[in-house]
Amino acid sequence: MTAQLPPGIQLEKVDDRIMTLNVGPQHPGSGHMRLIIKIDGDYIVSCDPDPGYVHRGEEKMAEYRNYIQNIPHLERPVIHDSSNILHPYCLAVEELLGIEVPERAKYIRVIASELNRCIYTLYWLAIYGIFLGHSTMFMWPAGDRELFIDLLEAMSGARVTHAYLVPGGVRNDLPANFEERCLRQVDYFEKRLKEYQAVFYKNPILISRTEGTGILSRTDAIRLGTTGSVLRASGVDFDIRKKEPYDVYENLDFETVVMKEGDSYARSYVPYLEMFESCRIIRDAIRKMPKSGSVRTKLKPNPKGGNEEVYKRVESGRGALGYYIVSNNRPEPYRVKISVGSFRNLICMPYLLKGELLGNMPSVYWSLNYWPVEADR
Amino acid sequence: MSTIAPQFRLSRFIASLFDIIFWVLLIFSLVGLPIVFIILFYIKMPIVNGQMLTPYLAMTWMADPSRTLPIIKTLLHTTFFHVIAFPGFGFAALLAAATIFVERKFLAKIQLRVGPLYCGKIEGILQLMGDGLKLISKEIIIPAKADKPIFWVGPLLFVGTAGAFVSLIPVARGWVVANPSVGLLAVFATIGFFPIISVLTAWAANNKWTFIGGLRALHQMIAFEIPLILSLLSIVILTGTLNLSQIVESQQHYWWIVFAPISAIVFFICIIAELERIPFDLPEAESEIVAGWLTEFSGMMYGLIQLGTYLKLYAFAGLFTVLFLGGWNGPMVWPPFPADIVTHGITIGPITAKIPGLPLFDQDMLNGTLWFVIKTVGVILLILLPRGVFPRIRIDMLLHTGWYKLIGLAFINIFIALGLLYAGVLGPGGLIQ
Amino acid sequence: MSTAGGIIRALNSGVKHLAIRRFTLRYPEQKLKFVGDGFQFNPETGVGIAGLRGRHILYHEHCTGCQLCSVACEGIAEAIGMVKVNETWKQNKKAIMPQIDYGKCVFCGLCVDACPFYALYMTNDYELSSFTKSALIYTPAQLAIKPKISQDVEIKIDDRGATHG
Repeated sequence: MTAQLPPGIQLEKVDDRIMTLNVGPQHPGSGHMRLIIKIDGDYIVSCDPDPGYVHRGEEKMAEYRNYIQNIPHLERPVIHDSSNILHPYCLAVEELLGIEVPERAKYIRVIASELNRCIYTLYWLAIYGIFLGHSTMFMWPAGDRELFIDLLEAMSGARVTHAYLVPGGVRNDLPANFEERCLRQVDYFEKRLKEYQAVFYKNPILISRTEGTGILSRTDAIRLGTTGSVLRASGVDFDIRKKEPYDVYENLDFETVVMKEGDSYARSYVPYLEMFESCRIIRDAIRKMPKSGSVRTKLKPNPKGGNEEVYKRVESGRGALGYYIVSNNRPEPYRVKISVGSFRNLICMPYLLKGELLGNMPSVYWSLNYWPVEADR
Repeated sequence: MSTIAPQFRLSRFIASLFDIIFWVLLIFSLVGLPIVFIILFYIKMPIVNGQMLTPYLAMTWMADPSRTLPIIKTLLHTTFFHVIAFPGFGFAALLAAATIFVERKFLAKIQLRVGPLYCGKIEGILQLMGDGLKLISKEIIIPAKADKPIFWVGPLLFVGTAGAFVSLIPVARGWVVANPSVGLLAVFATIGFFPIISVLTAWAANNKWTFIGGLRALHQMIAFEIPLILSLLSIVILTGTLNLSQIVESQQHYWWIVFAPISAIVFFICIIAELERIPFDLPEAESEIVAGWLTEFSGMMYGLIQLGTYLKLYAFAGLFTVLFLGGWNGPMVWPPFPADIVTHGITIGPITAKIPGLPLFDQDMLNGTLWFVIKTVGVILLILLPRGVFPRIRIDMLLHTGWYKLIGLAFINIFIALGLLYAGVLGPGGLIQ
Repeated sequence: MSTAGGIIRALNSGVKHLAIRRFTLRYPEQKLKFVGDGFQFNPETGVGIAGLRGRHILYHEHCTGCQLCSVACEGIAEAIGMVKVNETWKQNKKAIMPQIDYGKCVFCGLCVDACPFYALYMTNDYELSSFTKSALIYTPAQLAIKPKISQDVEIKIDDRGATHG
């Protein structure tokens, strides 16, 4: 008996050998998305990522709010990396409105962004640990993350959604004794970070599990348009902080971390090494920062942009994060387009997971540094 | 005004107390007493004051204290008590419960957090009770298209098999539930049931995740059962017996871990794999297959599986102690029972009470139990440690480890054991006795 | 051999952490100490003063009922509404003051930035949970009360690791 199907709907042919698994959205290893995985035995035949479960229309919402009111909304996609997602917005709006940023504010912004990058990376690392069944690697980064959260809370007044960076500088100056406290906690954090090596990164079980899985070659990484740590793990030396320095990154002393292997292990090791570089940047910025001065250029109420468009991008925890803003002589932007690293890295998933074991799915998936909420915006 | 019981009346409270007492007495006299009599009928009664006790006379122990201790002593040596309480289920469940608590605190300490803290005032010692109450009070959900009889019976079978395994472990000299002459073979036969139960329940739940998890459990347990058996062959070769109590007796002077260290390591790795603990928790890999073959279990069904898992953990740790660490053997540290209490009785002020039948337990048994528990707890802590420092292994590496590396290592120690035996160093008539 | 070495090193690192002090903040007993008295804003320079962005405090003697905070909140959380108060201030002829719904507030603090009369600041009080939704709506009279807080725990770092308190 064949039931009459409504027009336009087809039934999928079922293969006896192939089993279809819906990994997500109600799956402990998926995040806010779905992976439609077809497996033959224990091997993945095809993988079809299906994002869009947390689409919130941030871009459309931004068209109805003025440039200041947009700030709390636009940091919502990645609340763990809220300084970095506001950074390109502030740069773009400053260019649009023609605002000069004080020197001290630029340094404070860089410090906030780097602290936030560490917070994001630690959160990502914690989930990477639990995806691989390593509960200690879930608890340690989640605990050490508190060091930076406390610092940012002292800076901005909020623990997670800071709304700290604004067009024209930052909301408030650093509190007293902040530099000293920051240096002490960053030093301690570097010591802690080295202890992750023996338990996690140099653990033979982890190495044997992630090495040589989901290899993304250099040409493929460029061809698929990946960005951030995924691109750098495949041997491409591309970091916007170095190549197109914004704010004061050209004055600061740091290096780009590049690995050649392009496997899950390299993709997870690059963010870890970048945290050391972030600590270096924070230390250098605190040393080179002007000790006093203005931190915010006063804006006119309801500033209007000209009839122009602007694109600015920064290096966030997940790669290039750009804002394309079109204005038409009104206090609200005409169009805001957020180009995020997560969505660009997601395209690798069908290529990397094909032919892998099902057990490699979590390690490859999360090594792509993918943040579902940001990808859906 | 109190918000907890605004309608409180003392008279109603007292009435409800009487009500409860009435029902307890009624149920005890109608159900409890017959059960006690039935049990007493099947127990060989001791002879007290030259008189063979009948169940009716035995029930007078409350009136005649001189009969109390001999009857309790007799009860202690019945199979019923062995199965329910001491070397059997009760003892193992107590150790298992302690293991769960210690595991949580221990793991929390490695991870720089505090673990259970508030339940029970002192470091969260009653947390387990709270968890148990929660599991009991939760709804049991059965999937609509599950094979219901098999699905229902799966957790019970799991606990039953784990209990059967526990019953084979000798705790002290003569204190073992079942002491077959082929004890080690019985152990292998019992642990052979676990993969079957996993696959049965996994298939019965009718879910893709349970199916994959069940097949993984099957793969893993079969791959690790062979090195498990092979690693114990060297012990069998050296002792010449399969009886676990005799294996313990053969370790009075030295432990077998001295002569079979490779076997011990192989056996330890196989234990972790058989217990599905990290790094070998593939059948329950959370981020890959939700909860593996446990996905569809809810409420107390899941609680029973957990109980079975921890009973199994205790049994494997006990087996390791028995085979490699000398079981109950150890220096006599338990103080002897004061002799003048036996001869003169207890003197409290003007009253001197002479209690016949003391001591209740002999010193040897208490000392043996102490050493067994110390060694077993040490092994359990070692089994818990990898959970803090290792990630999950992958299925292909798991099978490679089981079928290739561990079997090879187990054979090495078999050859060492054979060499020691034929060189005349160990074994019957060897240099070292 | 390197595998065995790595496994032993990992186990050793795990055991070493048994001696390191725990990092957990035991929240209801201990409370984290914050910088200053809460987020404030200086309208003259246009720069804020660092502090925790907790619940607001409203100075009735400064509030003019200009609605700028309410306007700032439009399109962000729409948590601020202007309500009539039974008070007479000479700077506040309309006798309206902000009322904040903490079920909606996102604690961005842009209303504080918007206030030009030093009337609306934020405090260190963050424990705002309630049993009903209506209890989350703070009237101007409730907002005027200065919160009592005892927060004294800081991160301490020594040789045996970092701890709270």
